[in-house]
Amino acid sequence: MSTLTQEESRKRVWRVCGILAVVTAVEIAAALIHYNYMHDSPKSFLNILFVVLSAAKAYYIMSEFMHLKYELKPMVISILAPFLFLVWGIIAFLWEGHYWLSEKELWHILK
Amino acid sequence: MEAVATTNAKDLWSGGDSPFKVSYGKIMMWYFLISDTFTFAGLLISYGAIRTSQPKHDAANPLSWPDPNEVFNAGPGFHNAPLIFVTFMTFTLILSSVTMVRAVQEGHQMNRSGVLKWMAFTILGGLVFVGSQAWEWSHLIEEGMTPHGNPFGASSFGALFFLITGFHGFHVSVGVLLNSWAFISTYRGVFDRRGHYEMIEKLGLYWHFVDLVWVYVFLAFYLF
Repeated sequence: MSTLTQEESRKRVWRVCGILAVVTAVEIAAALIHYNYMHDSPKSFLNILFVVLSAAKAYYIMSEFMHLKYELKPMVISILAPFLFLVWGIIAFLWEGHYWLSEKELWHILK
Repeated sequence: MEAVATTNAKDLWSGGDSPFKVSYGKIMMWYFLISDTFTFAGLLISYGAIRTSQPKHDAANPLSWPDPNEVFNAGPGFHNAPLIFVTFMTFTLILSSVTMVRAVQEGHQMNRSGVLKWMAFTILGGLVFVGSQAWEWSHLIEEGMTPHGNPFGASSFGALFFLITGFHGFHVSVGVLLNSWAFISTYRGVFDRRGHYEMIEKLGLYWHFVDLVWVYVFLAFYLF
């Protein structure tokens, strides 16, 4: 249900391509700067940045490339709503992973 | 703008008008992609759980999780360049997504030669990506990485890497085959006779999904 003209949507595609390329380049640059110059500092802040930037890339791919931005709202909701389960899944299983690690440490399974 | 398919739609759907003003075929592709998202999410969440159950990277501890900058530091003809080859692979996939959108747009205009041109670029991008992945796999296998051990650290790293990038590479390969089939059909004028290029749109959804999954595979294995 595009309301854009042919010319506009063509331009938009290349703009989104540029955004995705720049975001990827920023991610790589951040990872390499950390690896080369800040190797001993914790990576947790950087990881939050990576999650945010990846979510931005996912947004652009879904909304523009997969055309979801131009579909009717109920359709968008019915596609995105199931993914809320994944939020629970990620939190629950990472939590569980930490628990496994603490159990291993408790029983001296790791040297 | 949009030529909605009417071929047998009533028979398949039996529900009158298409819901959400989206054709039967595109809704079914979205259903498939949602289920496929959960498959990939299951794999990546398992990766997260197993990874957090291992000690963080520590060069002195062979049980700790490997540092991606040390594992992925080579490409064809160069090494000691962390993440450079995977950057190339990522850009290739992004560009092939863009050429796919252009093919869909040309399909809306019923421009057969335009569709052929952009589909050719998309297929080429897919082949370059799969080829790069094949190179990376054989390189890591040479370095001694197997599903049950590797020289970089925790043994589960190899199993998860081969499983998840393999499953993604399988999706890319299937996409290349389907796109090649669509290219031949376009060349033979099948979609012109049908009166719409909806098949290209459906394959486009699939192809962008493969790109979308790569964002998260890339995040999990190469960035974190």
